[in-house]
Amino acid sequence: MFKNYLKIALRYLLKNKLYSIINIFGLAVGIASFVLIMLYVNYEKSYDTFEGSENVYRIYMDYLEGDTYVPGDAMTYNSSGPALKEMFPEVLDYVRFYYFEKLAFKVGEKILEQPLGSLADPSYFDIFNYPLLEGDKKTVLAEPNAIVLSKSFAKKLFGNQNPLRRTISVFEDGKETQLTVTGIMEDVPETAHYRNSFLISYETEKTLTDFGPTAHELNWNMNNYYTYLKLAPNTNIDVLRQKIIDSDIEKSETERHNIEPIEDIHLYSDKPYEVTANGSVLRIKFLTAIAFIILVLSWLNYVNLSTTKSMERAKEAGIRKVAGAKKSQLIVQSLMESLLLNFIAMAIALSIVFGVLPLYTNIIGNELNLDWGFIVSFIPYFIFIVGGVILAGLYPAFLLSRYSPAKALKGKVRASTEGIGLRKGLIVTQFFATIVLLTGTFIISKQINFLDNQPIGADVGQIIALHGTVVSTQSDSLVNNDFRVLKEQLEDFPFIEKTAIAQTYPGDSFDNLSSSRGIWLPDGRSDKANIFYTYHAQPDYFDLMDIEFLAGGTFVLNSKFEGNQIVVNETFLKTVGISSPEDLLNKTVSFWGNNQWKVVGIIKDYYHFGLKTPVLPTIVRYQDDISNLLVKIDKSSISIAGLETALSQIENKWHEVFPQSTFNYTFLDEKFEAQYEQDKAFGKAFQIFTVLSILIASLGLFGLTAYTVVLRKKEIGIRKVNGATITQVLTLLNKDFVKLLGLAFIIAIPSSWYVMNQWLEGFTYRTNFSWWIFALAGTTALLITFLTVSWQSFKAAIANPVESLKDE
Amino acid sequence: MLLQLNNIFKWVTTGGQRIFLLKDINLEVEEGEFISIMGPSGSGKSTLLNVIGMLDNFDEGEYNFMDESVHSLKEKHRSNLYKQYIGFVFQSYHLLDELTVKENLEMPLIYKKIKGSERKAMVADMLDRFNIVGKKDLFPAQLSGGQQQLVGVARALIASPKLILADEPTGNLNSKQGEEIMELFKQLNEEGVTIIQVTHSEKNAEYGSRIINLLDGRMV
Repeated sequence: MFKNYLKIALRYLLKNKLYSIINIFGLAVGIASFVLIMLYVNYEKSYDTFEGSENVYRIYMDYLEGDTYVPGDAMTYNSSGPALKEMFPEVLDYVRFYYFEKLAFKVGEKILEQPLGSLADPSYFDIFNYPLLEGDKKTVLAEPNAIVLSKSFAKKLFGNQNPLRRTISVFEDGKETQLTVTGIMEDVPETAHYRNSFLISYETEKTLTDFGPTAHELNWNMNNYYTYLKLAPNTNIDVLRQKIIDSDIEKSETERHNIEPIEDIHLYSDKPYEVTANGSVLRIKFLTAIAFIILVLSWLNYVNLSTTKSMERAKEAGIRKVAGAKKSQLIVQSLMESLLLNFIAMAIALSIVFGVLPLYTNIIGNELNLDWGFIVSFIPYFIFIVGGVILAGLYPAFLLSRYSPAKALKGKVRASTEGIGLRKGLIVTQFFATIVLLTGTFIISKQINFLDNQPIGADVGQIIALHGTVVSTQSDSLVNNDFRVLKEQLEDFPFIEKTAIAQTYPGDSFDNLSSSRGIWLPDGRSDKANIFYTYHAQPDYFDLMDIEFLAGGTFVLNSKFEGNQIVVNETFLKTVGISSPEDLLNKTVSFWGNNQWKVVGIIKDYYHFGLKTPVLPTIVRYQDDISNLLVKIDKSSISIAGLETALSQIENKWHEVFPQSTFNYTFLDEKFEAQYEQDKAFGKAFQIFTVLSILIASLGLFGLTAYTVVLRKKEIGIRKVNGATITQVLTLLNKDFVKLLGLAFIIAIPSSWYVMNQWLEGFTYRTNFSWWIFALAGTTALLITFLTVSWQSFKAAIANPVESLKDE
Repeated sequence: MLLQLNNIFKWVTTGGQRIFLLKDINLEVEEGEFISIMGPSGSGKSTLLNVIGMLDNFDEGEYNFMDESVHSLKEKHRSNLYKQYIGFVFQSYHLLDELTVKENLEMPLIYKKIKGSERKAMVADMLDRFNIVGKKDLFPAQLSGGQQQLVGVARALIASPKLILADEPTGNLNSKQGEEIMELFKQLNEEGVTIIQVTHSEKNAEYGSRIINLLDGRMV
């Protein structure tokens, strides 16, 4: 019997080609979009999951801002871990990391810079259950001067030689330390927020870092450490968190310790001083919503089309009933058809998925790793898809089985009477989703446009930051002197307009920036409540970056030079409550112990952290130290092709001055924009899937119109014979759809306003919701509807009525 | 007695007014009869046929079919009843366009859950009997009207019903084709099948053993 059903179903699909293609294509696009989006969503959700990860938590600092505590720093003190372990039995162990911004490695004559690596406690392999390929988990990090390399970094350093027990020199700020390779670990998976490519035993800190002789002792002064805790299974987190907060281990009035699950860091954490930029749970939620919308849209399409089609098949159902079919037999047959159709659609969807996966990987910017565990985690979605298919097939099946055969055979079952309310509802839902998605697309591109065009208060165009690690036994001052030589030589190049030296630059975010609290003002007041951020630069920095001064000017280096000069920003003034720049200019403030700092200038605010973070109170200190050599390229004297040559000329000059060194460069504008890369990718994905949903909805509309026109053929004929014009017939056919669209539009406005506002709130600086966005979305939907509907309506309207009025 | 209608009324209510489709119908049909129902358009011929075939309900009266009182039966039992004993033939054939001749014939048997091998035998037998073996793999659209109706009759007969209800079986056929179908009915009737047909044609009505005339829902 099933064979029979299947055969008939197949034949039916083949006979109704347009209907089948529209249906299968719509479903396939829906399923493929759903699978693609959920692949990405699952990937993002899979961050930091390893055996035991559910018990691993990160300590972070809450800072008091006004009256409330806000997440203030992803880093903690070196005392935080040990103190919590001692106080609370739930804390089984801790591991601390000291993260190297850059570290140069030397093996033989080979010099390599590797940014992603840390000092780590020996407990690392107990807490992070990543495989260790060579060495013993308990001892690899126990001794000072021990280093564990990741498989791929070991290969970079040693090629195919065995790296175990080999010696490596590392250079931190020019200072050399010898390390011995004690182990090789598997590369940390891409789905980890902290991807160390090497680990140096924590004990090495005493000799390796440059914080002075007592820095490695437990203290509550320097929070430069990422600390992760391993908790006892089934620990009640809220209780422990409260205990940690209540215990006030640090005895501080302005900050407190807090904990968060490691599994949540990637999607939920966006604190200052994160190891790497994290994802965004809001984006994931939006994408998930879109995935479900598209899938449901394609189901609605299916229900709508097959319900409409089932009217046409009422006669068939009648004949079958008269011939003895039971209700249940008709339902099963109809379900078989929908299963077959969906099965074909699913097969096509999967081939689409595998076909576009490489392209998709590009757009989304992540490599999707389709391993077995990943596929298993996808099973619930497949169950969801199949369940939906059965549900979607049930309604038309029931409808079909319900017709009374006498009526059906007399042709009395009409699309205009049966299930009309439902189909109208489905269409309104489709229009609704279309308008919401369109509004979303417009708002996202408006916001991205806004970000791109917002003046940032500094000019990052044409500026390149040069940086590298100098491997040298010379003293610091001599190295600094060499830098000045290099700077002057670079200025001689005709294509270089200006140069400057600074620790960081706009768009570099929190990297290379210190935060501090407690400042004494010239009027005798002190501010201990607010955090301010500080970096150092040399006098020509402000000019190069085109940062404007409200009062005063840049650092002055002359014979009367007193060392401690600072420049502060507008927000700094507001934060400490000084209204006029003149009240602070040339006065002295103190912070960092008893250091006196003279304010030589007040700059206008610029967006150091990009437009996703507000401007923060900032102090720029004068310091004769080298981090980044910034060069501004002269636009007029160089072509894009010439840039390559210019860069290699700069590199040659660099290596002339520093024969033993690494060389890197960053384009400031690229780095600044990279902060919105994920938002742009999201916008692109949103756009693509909006177009696809509209396509699906249009297909449904197209199919529906085709059918309506057939049904009303006789009516149109009669009207035309009685004098209706083509326009009148068109109006008649299109009117209904426009009404439904209008209704959908009215519901869509508040919904999309609410939803997109949530997205916008993720940005500190955001564009506003203009009325024209709704108007544009509505007009676009209207145009699409007209285009879809009119083609068919027009054909019907110009048809010769004699044809349609002929009897059977 | 095969079936008995007592005081059957059927009406629709429009604007608070009852319009009677069938009015006080009393009819007894014996096994082996061949009855023709005649009457002008709208006189209720098809409605009566549908009531007899249990495809349509009535509002008042009693209907007994083979000693079962149809009026008190549940829908499910009723459909079991007609599935078992009644075959239908329609003016516009009502063959399924997607199915071949063979498959159209097979369809009722599938719903009766008859085994595949048995089905094949019954279909082959029917094809043979109606001389349409050569057409068994054709679709309805490839047949002439007369041939389609032949298949329609064959389909009605395949499950060996006691009663065949035919609603203007020759209405869409030319006179020669019509005559063939009527001859076929006559032959079937002689073999013992009870037949009730609705017809406009006096000539076709003559094939029957009894003629019932309807006017405005009443028997006259």
